[in-house]
Amino acid sequence: MAFEASIQKFSGPLDLMLHLIKEEKLDIFDLDMERLCDQYLKYINEMMDLKLEVESEYLVELAMLVEYKSKKLLPKRENEEEDSAFEEDPKEKLVRRLLEYQRYKEASLKLETLYLERQLQYAKSLSDTESLVKDSDDKLSGEVKDLWRAMNKVMRRLQLSKPLSTKLTTKEVSVEDRILMIKARFNDLDEVFNFKKLVEDCENLHDFVVTFLGILDLAKNHILSFEVDENDEIWLKKELS
Amino acid sequence: MEEYITSYEMDKREKAIYQRRESKVVPLYKALSKEEKDKLAILEGLLYVVGEDGIHLGQLTALLDLDEASVKKMLRHLKRRYDQKEYGIELVSYAGVYKILSKPVVSPYIQKLFQTSKANTLSQSALETLAIIAYKQPITRFEIEELRGVGAEVMLRKLIMRGLIEEVGRSEAPGRPILYGVTEEFMDSFKLYSLDDLPKIEEIKNESEDLFE
Repeated sequence: MAFEASIQKFSGPLDLMLHLIKEEKLDIFDLDMERLCDQYLKYINEMMDLKLEVESEYLVELAMLVEYKSKKLLPKRENEEEDSAFEEDPKEKLVRRLLEYQRYKEASLKLETLYLERQLQYAKSLSDTESLVKDSDDKLSGEVKDLWRAMNKVMRRLQLSKPLSTKLTTKEVSVEDRILMIKARFNDLDEVFNFKKLVEDCENLHDFVVTFLGILDLAKNHILSFEVDENDEIWLKKELS
Repeated sequence: MEEYITSYEMDKREKAIYQRRESKVVPLYKALSKEEKDKLAILEGLLYVVGEDGIHLGQLTALLDLDEASVKKMLRHLKRRYDQKEYGIELVSYAGVYKILSKPVVSPYIQKLFQTSKANTLSQSALETLAIIAYKQPITRFEIEELRGVGAEVMLRKLIMRGLIEEVGRSEAPGRPILYGVTEEFMDSFKLYSLDDLPKIEEIKNESEDLFE
Protein backbone atom coordinates (compact mmCIF):
# COMPACT_ATOMS: atom_id res chain seq x y z
CA MET A 1 0.00 0.00 0.00
CA ALA A 2 1.36 3.35 -0.99
CA PHE A 3 1.08 6.18 1.51
CA GLU A 4 0.64 9.32 -0.48
CA ALA A 5 -0.10 11.27 2.63
CA SER A 6 2.95 12.24 4.62
CA ILE A 7 2.64 12.57 8.35
CA GLN A 8 3.21 16.33 8.21
CA LYS A 9 -0.15 16.57 6.53
CA PHE A 10 -1.88 15.55 9.73
CA SER A 11 -2.34 17.87 12.63
CA GLY A 12 -2.22 15.04 15.17
CA PRO A 13 -2.95 11.38 15.87
CA LEU A 14 -6.72 11.88 15.80
CA ASP A 15 -6.47 13.53 12.41
CA LEU A 16 -4.48 10.54 11.17
CA MET A 17 -7.06 8.12 12.58
CA LEU A 18 -9.90 9.96 10.85
CA HIS A 19 -7.94 9.72 7.62
CA LEU A 20 -7.42 5.98 8.05
CA ILE A 21 -11.07 5.42 8.98
CA LYS A 22 -12.13 7.21 5.82
CA GLU A 23 -9.57 5.41 3.69
CA GLU A 24 -10.51 1.98 5.07
CA LYS A 25 -14.21 2.88 4.93
CA LEU A 26 -14.63 1.96 8.59
CA ASP A 27 -17.80 2.84 10.47
CA ILE A 28 -16.86 5.44 13.03
CA PHE A 29 -19.91 4.61 15.22
CA ASP A 30 -19.06 0.91 15.27
CA LEU A 31 -15.33 1.15 15.08
CA ASP A 32 -13.27 -1.86 14.10
CA MET A 33 -10.46 -1.15 16.54
CA GLU A 34 -8.29 -4.07 15.39
CA ARG A 35 -8.34 -2.86 11.81
CA LEU A 36 -7.64 0.69 12.86
CA CYS A 37 -4.78 -0.51 15.05
CA ASP A 38 -3.21 -2.48 12.19
CA GLN A 39 -3.48 0.39 9.73
CA TYR A 40 -2.24 2.92 12.24
CA LEU A 41 0.76 0.76 13.11
CA LYS A 42 1.49 0.17 9.46
CA TYR A 43 1.37 3.86 8.76
CA ILE A 44 3.65 4.80 11.65
CA ASN A 45 6.15 2.10 10.60
CA GLU A 46 6.11 3.38 7.05
CA MET A 47 6.80 6.91 8.23
CA MET A 48 9.66 5.73 10.39
CA ASP A 49 11.13 3.73 7.49
CA LEU A 50 11.07 6.94 5.48
CA LYS A 51 13.05 8.51 8.32
CA LEU A 52 10.29 11.01 8.91
CA GLU A 53 10.00 12.37 12.37
CA VAL A 54 7.05 10.89 14.21
CA GLU A 55 6.04 12.96 17.21
CA SER A 56 5.58 11.24 20.54
CA GLU A 57 1.85 12.07 20.52
CA TYR A 58 1.38 9.58 17.70
CA LEU A 59 3.09 6.89 19.73
CA VAL A 60 0.92 7.54 22.79
CA GLU A 61 -2.20 6.77 20.76
CA LEU A 62 -0.47 3.82 19.14
CA ALA A 63 0.22 2.37 22.57
CA MET A 64 -3.45 2.76 23.47
CA LEU A 65 -4.54 0.96 20.28
CA VAL A 66 -2.07 -1.86 20.75
CA GLU A 67 -3.08 -2.30 24.37
CA TYR A 68 -6.72 -2.53 23.36
CA LYS A 69 -5.97 -5.06 20.67
CA SER A 70 -3.77 -7.24 22.87
CA LYS A 71 -6.40 -7.28 25.60
CA LYS A 72 -8.94 -8.56 23.12
CA LEU A 73 -6.61 -11.38 22.15
CA LEU A 74 -6.16 -12.56 25.69
CA PRO A 75 -8.79 -14.82 27.22
CA LYS A 76 -10.99 -12.85 29.61
CA ARG A 77 -10.68 -13.45 33.27
CA GLU A 78 -14.00 -13.80 35.01
CA ASN A 79 -13.90 -10.88 37.37
CA GLU A 80 -12.43 -8.51 34.84
CA GLU A 81 -15.63 -7.46 33.21
CA GLU A 82 -17.11 -6.20 36.43
CA ASP A 83 -14.01 -4.16 37.18
CA SER A 84 -14.00 -2.45 33.88
CA ALA A 85 -17.65 -1.51 34.18
CA PHE A 86 -16.59 1.51 36.16
CA GLU A 87 -14.12 2.63 33.55
CA GLU A 88 -15.03 4.02 30.18
CA ASP A 89 -14.43 1.46 27.47
CA PRO A 90 -11.33 2.58 25.51
CA LYS A 91 -13.21 2.05 22.29
CA GLU A 92 -16.12 4.23 23.35
CA LYS A 93 -13.72 6.82 24.61
CA LEU A 94 -11.82 6.87 21.34
CA VAL A 95 -15.01 7.14 19.29
CA ARG A 96 -16.16 10.04 21.47
CA ARG A 97 -12.81 11.80 21.06
CA LEU A 98 -12.77 11.21 17.32
CA LEU A 99 -16.28 12.59 16.89
CA GLU A 100 -15.57 15.63 18.98
CA TYR A 101 -12.26 16.24 17.23
CA GLN A 102 -14.02 15.92 13.88
CA ARG A 103 -16.45 18.66 14.87
CA TYR A 104 -13.66 21.09 15.60
CA LYS A 105 -11.81 20.10 12.49
CA GLU A 106 -14.88 20.89 10.42
CA ALA A 107 -15.33 24.16 12.28
CA SER A 108 -11.70 25.03 11.63
CA LEU A 109 -12.27 24.57 7.89
CA LYS A 110 -15.22 26.96 7.99
CA LEU A 111 -13.16 29.42 9.98
CA GLU A 112 -10.35 29.15 7.48
CA THR A 113 -12.69 30.24 4.68
CA LEU A 114 -13.68 33.30 6.70
CA TYR A 115 -10.06 34.01 7.52
CA LEU A 116 -8.96 33.84 3.89
CA GLU A 117 -11.85 36.08 2.84
CA ARG A 118 -10.93 38.62 5.49
CA GLN A 119 -7.29 38.58 4.37
CA LEU A 120 -8.38 40.04 1.04
CA GLN A 121 -9.84 43.13 2.67
CA TYR A 122 -7.82 46.00 3.98
CA ALA A 123 -8.55 48.79 6.39
CA LYS A 124 -6.61 52.00 6.38
CA SER A 125 -4.93 52.92 9.62
CA LEU A 126 -6.43 55.38 12.07
CA SER A 127 -5.98 58.88 10.69
CA ASP A 128 -3.13 60.78 12.31
CA THR A 129 -4.97 63.66 13.87
CA GLU A 130 -2.02 64.58 16.08
CA SER A 131 0.11 65.99 13.28
CA LEU A 132 -2.71 68.38 12.45
CA VAL A 133 -2.87 69.73 15.95
CA LYS A 134 0.84 70.48 16.22
CA ASP A 135 2.55 73.12 14.15
CA SER A 136 3.72 70.94 11.32
CA ASP A 137 5.22 73.75 9.24
CA ASP A 138 8.81 73.61 10.37
CA LYS A 139 9.06 69.91 10.90
CA LEU A 140 10.05 67.24 8.49
CA SER A 141 7.77 64.29 8.65
CA GLY A 142 8.25 60.84 7.28
CA GLU A 143 6.48 57.54 7.32
CA VAL A 144 8.12 54.72 9.23
CA LYS A 145 7.53 52.52 6.20
CA ASP A 146 9.52 54.92 4.02
CA LEU A 147 12.30 55.02 6.56
CA TRP A 148 12.41 51.27 6.66
CA ARG A 149 12.62 50.97 2.90
CA ALA A 150 15.28 53.64 2.67
CA MET A 151 17.21 51.97 5.45
CA ASN A 152 17.22 48.72 3.54
CA LYS A 153 18.49 50.49 0.48
CA VAL A 154 21.31 52.13 2.40
CA MET A 155 22.24 48.81 3.93
CA ARG A 156 22.50 47.23 0.53
CA ARG A 157 24.41 50.17 -0.81
CA LEU A 158 26.95 49.97 1.94
CA GLN A 159 27.09 46.21 1.56
CA LEU A 160 26.64 45.83 5.22
CA SER A 161 23.69 43.52 5.01
CA LYS A 162 25.84 40.46 4.57
CA PRO A 163 26.10 38.48 7.77
CA LEU A 164 29.54 38.78 9.30
CA SER A 165 31.47 35.57 9.27
CA THR A 166 33.62 36.44 12.24
CA LYS A 167 32.73 37.83 15.60
CA LEU A 168 34.32 41.17 16.30
CA THR A 169 36.10 41.48 19.57
CA THR A 170 35.88 45.25 19.78
CA LYS A 171 33.64 46.69 22.42
CA GLU A 172 30.11 47.09 21.20
CA VAL A 173 28.58 50.52 21.48
CA SER A 174 25.20 50.70 23.20
CA VAL A 175 22.32 52.71 21.78
CA GLU A 176 22.55 55.13 24.72
CA ASP A 177 26.24 55.72 24.07
CA ARG A 178 25.58 56.22 20.41
CA ILE A 179 22.90 58.82 21.13
CA LEU A 180 25.41 60.72 23.26
CA MET A 181 27.93 60.49 20.43
CA ILE A 182 25.39 61.83 17.93
CA LYS A 183 24.43 64.63 20.27
CA ALA A 184 28.09 65.53 20.71
CA ARG A 185 28.40 65.95 16.97
CA PHE A 186 25.25 68.06 16.76
CA ASN A 187 26.96 71.44 16.55
CA ASP A 188 29.07 70.38 13.59
CA LEU A 189 26.03 69.28 11.65
CA ASP A 190 23.90 71.37 9.34
CA GLU A 191 20.28 72.10 10.15
CA VAL A 192 19.28 69.37 7.72
CA PHE A 193 21.74 66.60 7.01
CA ASN A 194 21.95 63.20 5.36
CA PHE A 195 21.79 60.01 7.38
CA LYS A 196 25.02 58.95 5.71
CA LYS A 197 26.84 61.66 7.64
CA LEU A 198 26.08 59.89 10.87
CA VAL A 199 27.24 56.48 9.69
CA GLU A 200 30.55 57.67 8.29
CA ASP A 201 32.41 56.34 11.32
CA CYS A 202 30.56 53.03 11.41
CA GLU A 203 32.87 50.09 11.00
CA ASN A 204 30.44 47.25 11.19
CA LEU A 205 26.81 46.26 11.07
CA HIS A 206 26.40 46.63 14.79
CA ASP A 207 27.50 50.29 14.78
CA PHE A 208 25.22 50.88 11.90
CA VAL A 209 22.17 49.35 13.55
CA VAL A 210 22.87 51.13 16.83
CA THR A 211 23.06 54.45 14.95
CA PHE A 212 19.76 53.73 13.31
CA LEU A 213 18.12 52.84 16.62
CA GLY A 214 19.60 55.98 18.15
CA ILE A 215 17.95 58.06 15.43
CA LEU A 216 14.61 56.42 16.04
CA ASP A 217 14.95 57.29 19.71
CA LEU A 218 15.92 60.89 18.95
CA ALA A 219 12.99 61.18 16.55
CA LYS A 220 10.66 59.83 19.20
CA ASN A 221 11.86 62.48 21.63
CA HIS A 222 11.47 65.19 18.98
CA ILE A 223 15.16 65.98 18.97
CA LEU A 224 15.40 64.96 15.34
CA SER A 225 12.84 64.53 12.61
CA PHE A 226 13.29 62.60 9.42
CA GLU A 227 12.12 62.53 5.86
CA VAL A 228 12.76 60.15 3.01
CA ASP A 229 13.08 61.70 -0.43
CA GLU A 230 12.21 60.19 -3.80
CA ASN A 231 15.70 58.67 -4.10
CA ASP A 232 15.21 56.86 -0.80
CA GLU A 233 17.75 59.08 0.89
CA ILE A 234 17.14 59.64 4.58
CA TRP A 235 17.31 63.27 5.63
CA LEU A 236 17.44 64.35 9.23
CA LYS A 237 16.56 67.70 10.71
CA LYS A 238 17.52 69.09 14.07
CA GLU A 239 14.49 70.01 16.17
CA LEU A 240 16.27 71.32 19.27
CA SER A 241 19.30 73.54 19.18
CA MET B 1 -36.29 15.49 -6.81
CA GLU B 2 -35.79 16.87 -3.35
CA GLU B 3 -32.36 18.07 -4.28
CA TYR B 4 -33.69 19.82 -7.32
CA ILE B 5 -36.20 21.75 -5.28
CA THR B 6 -33.65 22.91 -2.74
CA SER B 7 -31.21 24.12 -5.32
CA TYR B 8 -33.94 25.89 -7.25
CA GLU B 9 -35.16 27.67 -4.14
CA MET B 10 -31.63 28.67 -3.25
CA ASP B 11 -31.14 30.35 -6.58
CA LYS B 12 -34.43 32.11 -6.34
CA ARG B 13 -33.73 33.29 -2.83
CA GLU B 14 -30.30 34.54 -3.75
CA LYS B 15 -31.72 36.36 -6.70
CA ALA B 16 -34.29 37.97 -4.46
CA ILE B 17 -31.62 39.10 -2.01
CA TYR B 18 -29.62 40.53 -4.85
CA GLN B 19 -32.59 42.39 -6.28
CA ARG B 20 -33.58 43.70 -2.90
CA ARG B 21 -30.05 44.95 -2.36
CA GLU B 22 -30.00 46.75 -5.69
CA SER B 23 -33.40 48.31 -5.32
CA LYS B 24 -33.27 49.19 -1.65
CA VAL B 25 -30.54 51.81 -1.85
CA VAL B 26 -32.81 54.63 -2.87
CA PRO B 27 -35.89 53.69 -0.81
CA LEU B 28 -33.74 53.34 2.27
CA TYR B 29 -32.39 56.85 1.81
CA LYS B 30 -35.94 58.12 1.51
CA ALA B 31 -36.74 56.29 4.72
CA LEU B 32 -34.22 58.43 6.60
CA SER B 33 -35.45 61.48 8.46
CA LYS B 34 -34.12 64.90 7.54
CA GLU B 35 -31.75 64.90 10.51
CA GLU B 36 -30.48 61.43 9.62
CA LYS B 37 -29.88 62.49 6.04
CA ASP B 38 -28.02 65.60 7.21
CA LYS B 39 -25.76 63.59 9.47
CA LEU B 40 -25.06 60.79 7.01
CA ALA B 41 -21.98 62.58 5.67
CA ILE B 42 -20.64 63.01 9.21
CA LEU B 43 -21.13 59.31 9.89
CA GLU B 44 -19.29 58.41 6.71
CA GLY B 45 -16.47 60.83 7.51
CA LEU B 46 -16.07 59.42 11.01
CA LEU B 47 -15.88 55.88 9.67
CA TYR B 48 -13.21 57.02 7.23
CA VAL B 49 -11.07 58.62 9.93
CA VAL B 50 -11.22 55.79 12.48
CA GLY B 51 -10.03 53.33 9.84
CA GLU B 52 -8.99 49.90 11.11
CA ASP B 53 -9.75 50.80 14.72
CA GLY B 54 -13.43 51.05 13.92
CA ILE B 55 -16.03 52.75 16.06
CA HIS B 56 -18.68 51.49 18.49
CA LEU B 57 -22.36 52.11 18.04
CA GLY B 58 -22.41 53.87 21.40
CA GLN B 59 -19.73 56.32 20.30
CA LEU B 60 -21.66 57.08 17.15
CA THR B 61 -24.97 57.73 18.93
CA ALA B 62 -23.18 60.10 21.33
CA LEU B 63 -21.28 61.94 18.60
CA LEU B 64 -24.20 62.28 16.24
CA ASP B 65 -26.69 62.93 19.02
CA LEU B 66 -29.09 60.37 17.61
CA ASP B 67 -30.65 57.26 19.09
CA GLU B 68 -29.44 53.76 18.35
CA ALA B 69 -32.26 52.96 15.92
CA SER B 70 -31.43 56.02 13.81
CA VAL B 71 -27.71 55.31 13.68
CA LYS B 72 -28.37 51.67 12.82
CA LYS B 73 -30.67 52.78 10.01
CA MET B 74 -27.97 55.10 8.68
CA LEU B 75 -25.33 52.38 8.93
CA ARG B 76 -27.60 50.00 7.04
CA HIS B 77 -28.06 52.61 4.37
CA LEU B 78 -24.32 53.15 4.02
CA LYS B 79 -23.72 49.42 3.93
CA ARG B 80 -26.26 48.92 1.14
CA ARG B 81 -24.81 51.81 -0.78
CA TYR B 82 -21.27 50.42 -0.62
CA ASP B 83 -22.50 46.93 -1.48
CA GLN B 84 -23.28 48.19 -4.95
CA LYS B 85 -20.80 47.15 -7.59
CA GLU B 86 -19.55 50.66 -8.29
CA TYR B 87 -18.08 51.05 -4.79
CA GLY B 88 -14.64 49.67 -3.83
CA ILE B 89 -15.24 49.79 -0.10
CA GLU B 90 -17.46 47.89 2.26
CA LEU B 91 -18.94 48.65 5.66
CA VAL B 92 -18.44 45.79 8.12
CA SER B 93 -19.00 45.21 11.81
CA TYR B 94 -16.57 42.88 13.55
CA ALA B 95 -15.91 42.54 17.28
CA GLY B 96 -18.68 45.03 17.97
CA VAL B 97 -17.23 47.91 15.96
CA TYR B 98 -18.09 49.35 12.58
CA LYS B 99 -15.35 49.96 10.06
CA ILE B 100 -14.67 50.41 6.39
CA LEU B 101 -12.62 47.86 4.44
CA SER B 102 -11.61 47.67 0.82
CA LYS B 103 -13.53 45.06 -1.12
CA PRO B 104 -11.84 41.75 -2.01
CA VAL B 105 -11.87 42.78 -5.67
CA VAL B 106 -9.22 45.41 -4.91
CA SER B 107 -6.90 42.91 -3.24
CA PRO B 108 -4.74 41.90 -6.26
CA TYR B 109 -4.09 45.57 -7.01
CA ILE B 110 -3.12 46.29 -3.42
CA GLN B 111 -0.66 43.42 -3.54
CA LYS B 112 0.75 44.81 -6.76
CA LEU B 113 0.99 48.31 -5.36
CA PHE B 114 2.82 47.28 -2.20
CA GLN B 115 4.56 44.32 -3.79
CA THR B 116 3.35 42.00 -1.12
CA SER B 117 2.84 38.44 -2.18
CA LYS B 118 0.83 36.13 0.03
CA ALA B 119 -1.36 36.98 2.93
CA ASN B 120 -0.62 35.61 6.37
CA THR B 121 -1.69 32.03 6.55
CA LEU B 122 -2.64 29.92 9.53
CA SER B 123 -1.71 26.24 9.71
CA GLN B 124 -4.33 23.55 10.17
CA SER B 125 -3.09 23.04 13.73
CA ALA B 126 -3.44 26.73 14.45
CA LEU B 127 -6.95 26.81 13.02
CA GLU B 128 -8.04 23.75 15.01
CA THR B 129 -6.65 25.21 18.21
CA LEU B 130 -8.39 28.51 17.53
CA ALA B 131 -11.67 26.72 16.75
CA ILE B 132 -11.54 24.81 20.03
CA ILE B 133 -10.79 27.97 22.01
CA ALA B 134 -13.46 30.01 20.24
CA TYR B 135 -16.22 27.44 20.77
CA LYS B 136 -15.27 26.34 24.27
CA GLN B 137 -13.73 29.39 25.88
CA PRO B 138 -12.66 29.93 28.58
CA ILE B 139 -10.58 26.80 28.27
CA THR B 140 -7.35 25.45 29.75
CA ARG B 141 -4.35 24.17 27.85
CA PHE B 142 -4.99 20.67 29.18
CA GLU B 143 -8.53 20.61 27.75
CA ILE B 144 -7.26 21.73 24.35
CA GLU B 145 -4.59 19.02 24.40
CA GLU B 146 -7.18 16.42 25.34
CA LEU B 147 -9.33 17.38 22.39
CA ARG B 148 -6.57 17.42 19.82
CA GLY B 149 -4.37 14.67 21.23
CA VAL B 150 -1.38 16.95 20.71
CA GLY B 151 0.68 19.22 22.96
CA ALA B 152 -0.50 22.82 22.71
CA GLU B 153 2.08 24.87 24.58
CA VAL B 154 4.03 26.18 21.61
CA MET B 155 0.89 26.79 19.58
CA LEU B 156 -0.73 28.79 22.37
CA ARG B 157 2.35 30.95 22.65
CA LYS B 158 2.33 31.57 18.89
CA LEU B 159 -1.34 32.50 18.89
CA ILE B 160 -0.84 34.90 21.79
CA MET B 161 2.04 36.49 19.87
CA ARG B 162 -0.25 36.97 16.90
CA GLY B 163 -2.81 38.59 19.17
CA LEU B 164 -5.51 36.06 18.33
CA ILE B 165 -5.93 34.64 21.83
CA GLU B 166 -5.24 35.89 25.34
CA GLU B 167 -5.28 34.77 28.94
CA VAL B 168 -8.68 35.47 30.38
CA GLY B 169 -8.26 34.17 33.92
CA ARG B 170 -7.50 31.14 36.02
CA SER B 171 -9.46 27.95 36.38
CA GLU B 172 -10.55 26.78 39.84
CA ALA B 173 -9.11 23.35 39.04
CA PRO B 174 -6.02 22.14 40.97
CA GLY B 175 -2.96 24.17 40.06
CA ARG B 176 -5.25 27.01 38.94
CA PRO B 177 -4.33 26.61 35.25
CA ILE B 178 -4.57 29.57 32.87
CA LEU B 179 -7.79 29.97 30.93
CA TYR B 180 -7.61 31.11 27.33
CA GLY B 181 -10.09 33.00 25.17
CA VAL B 182 -10.10 34.67 21.78
CA THR B 183 -9.41 38.39 21.29
CA GLU B 184 -11.13 41.16 19.34
CA GLU B 185 -8.36 40.72 16.81
CA PHE B 186 -9.58 37.14 16.36
CA MET B 187 -13.14 38.34 15.76
CA ASP B 188 -11.88 40.80 13.18
CA SER B 189 -9.69 38.18 11.47
CA PHE B 190 -12.62 35.79 11.20
CA LYS B 191 -15.31 38.31 10.29
CA LEU B 192 -17.35 37.87 13.46
CA TYR B 193 -19.47 40.54 15.11
CA SER B 194 -19.73 38.41 18.22
CA LEU B 195 -19.04 34.82 19.23
CA ASP B 196 -22.66 34.00 18.38
CA ASP B 197 -21.64 34.45 14.76
CA LEU B 198 -19.29 31.46 14.82
CA PRO B 199 -20.23 28.95 12.13
CA LYS B 200 -22.66 26.42 13.56
CA ILE B 201 -21.15 23.03 14.27
CA GLU B 202 -23.05 19.80 14.53
CA GLU B 203 -23.75 18.62 18.02
CA ILE B 204 -22.40 15.20 18.85
CA LYS B 205 -25.07 12.56 18.65
CA ASN B 206 -25.84 11.59 22.17
CA GLU B 207 -25.80 8.00 23.22
CA SER B 208 -29.55 7.54 23.51
CA GLU B 209 -29.80 8.19 19.80
CA ASP B 210 -27.10 5.66 19.08
CA LEU B 211 -29.17 2.94 20.75
CA PHE B 212 -31.68 3.10 17.96
CA GLU B 213 -29.18 2.64 15.19
